[in-house]
Amino acid sequence: MLIRVKDVYKIYNEGHENEVRALDGVSLNIDYGEYVAIIGSSGSGKSTFMNILGCLDVPTRGEYFLEDVNVKELTDADLSRIRSLKVGFIFQGYNLISTLNAYENIELPLIYQNIPAHKRRDAVFEALERVGLKERYLHFPSQLSGGQQQRIAIARAIATRAPIMMADEPTGALDSKTGIQIMETLEELNKSGSTIILITHDNGIAAKAKRVVRLSDGHIISDSRGETAV
Amino acid sequence: MNLLQSFKMAVATIRINKVRSFLTMLGIIIGVTSVIGLVSVMQGYNADITQYYEKMGVNKISVSLTMYNFSDSVKMYDKLYEYVNKDLSGLASGVSPAMKTSGTIQYGSGTIEDTSTVYLGNEQFSLCNNYDLKEGRDISYMDVQSANHVCVIGSYIVQELFGYKNPIGETIYFNSLPLKVVGVYYQKDGTTESSMDDAIVMPYTLNKEVLGTVAVSAYTVKSVDATSMTALYTKLNAFLDAKIDDTMGKFKLTNENTEMEASDDETASLSLVLGAVASIALLVGGIGIMNIMLVTVTERTREIGIRKAIGATRKAIITQFLIESGMLSALGGIIGIIFGFIITLIVGKAMYDMILLPMAWITCASFAFSIAIGIGFGLYPAIKASGLQPVVALRAD
Repeated sequence: MLIRVKDVYKIYNEGHENEVRALDGVSLNIDYGEYVAIIGSSGSGKSTFMNILGCLDVPTRGEYFLEDVNVKELTDADLSRIRSLKVGFIFQGYNLISTLNAYENIELPLIYQNIPAHKRRDAVFEALERVGLKERYLHFPSQLSGGQQQRIAIARAIATRAPIMMADEPTGALDSKTGIQIMETLEELNKSGSTIILITHDNGIAAKAKRVVRLSDGHIISDSRGETAV
Repeated sequence: MNLLQSFKMAVATIRINKVRSFLTMLGIIIGVTSVIGLVSVMQGYNADITQYYEKMGVNKISVSLTMYNFSDSVKMYDKLYEYVNKDLSGLASGVSPAMKTSGTIQYGSGTIEDTSTVYLGNEQFSLCNNYDLKEGRDISYMDVQSANHVCVIGSYIVQELFGYKNPIGETIYFNSLPLKVVGVYYQKDGTTESSMDDAIVMPYTLNKEVLGTVAVSAYTVKSVDATSMTALYTKLNAFLDAKIDDTMGKFKLTNENTEMEASDDETASLSLVLGAVASIALLVGGIGIMNIMLVTVTERTREIGIRKAIGATRKAIITQFLIESGMLSALGGIIGIIFGFIITLIVGKAMYDMILLPMAWITCASFAFSIAIGIGFGLYPAIKASGLQPVVALRAD
């Protein structure tokens, strides 16, 4: 099993008046190659859940096994390695580094993995080709449209060949036509073997996934597969 | 992540924020420039003083003598002369009276007003005071005994009064006292006005006519070398103590080498103090770097979050920020060293008329110090940056 979440809580300001239970006892299993949409309204805890799954945050209580390793027992450096090798992130706000050009942005995670320069070069251009922006590799984020920036961000995520793609509202800042292109890219990635975890509030977007997990007030209220998922 | 990549990233960041990077470096630039400049100026001053002492002649003991009776003073000359040249021949190479005065020197229609130093010595004067004979002859034993009206003149006097004419055998006038020029000394102090080349030497026995007294009030005793100075000093002191009691007069001995060493020590400690003061500028520069790096960390919180999200370890973030601050201060150090060299050259030329370059140790030390300051003061911001939780950092705007 790729991801095993057992009774996870994420509680802010626990015991205080302003206590917030972002995740209130969540359990979920995700297998290799799945395409899962986690859907919920604003404040449902879906972003918190993704941060925990992506090892950007740690749960207050409960256990999270990634490839059967208990994340709780890992050191800071181990978590960095997981983020580097296992997970590719695609954010709503793209999160490219503005002072680096497209090529350098995609190259950055590979640098952190200590991959030699010539191999980095091949991987970066392969990723750029997959998102169809090969000729824009010298452009800085400010010189690219929103859709292009998101495709660069996707290229950054796939260049590492991480088995898991986590996309947090990847089309949220884009017009519908560009959004469709991005969703098609994710589908292709899933077809070629990547596990996709998609966070969204949009039923239409979630409908693209093979499995839909619905979150509300920190609880999973439904988990359905197939065409009838939404 | 390897170091080369960190360096590339740091260079990129510094280049993007050119103006800010320069302002950040300014503290270090000023600090390094002033450390190198000040220490070099002191070094120039020291070299200048040493050169002066060397021209004056080292390994000398000055004797100042006050006798209540003129005839005692005259007799004292013979006693001291004999003692130094016979009994102390292993320690001392010579002794000469060292009285001096000044006045107008005239030859034909040319005159030198008051700038020249007029020495009254004996045949060992040039030996005791590092003058070398260029032409003619030196003052002789017989000149001294017979109080001959002769003199040896320095290169400035030759230049001013004779030009290209041969001065040997000509008669010059010192305050209307006629003196036949028998010899000329080599230049030893740049042939300038009031220098050691603006001097004439005559037999001390002319003192009645020049100074109006037969008393010999000052001597210079030259030691054979620096190591004999202490022994020579002790012997002379004992000799004079035995010959001169309180009823006859008094004397004072001065070891000129000690004077020189004292001045050396003085400049050394002064340059240390000045260097330390200038280092404060460096320290302030370091605080400037810390300040900017802290601002940078806050500004780039989101960037740090992104970097951590895509796999940067704490170590990678710390390395990145440390290299950035270290590079800023190193760059500042290099610019400061360049300015320090320029200032040292200018000051050396203007103040001491010599080609002065900063010493290697102060250049290396200030460069190392500035890098250390950059890394030292960059450490806190770097650790702060690396400790950011990725999820918190990503939420920042």
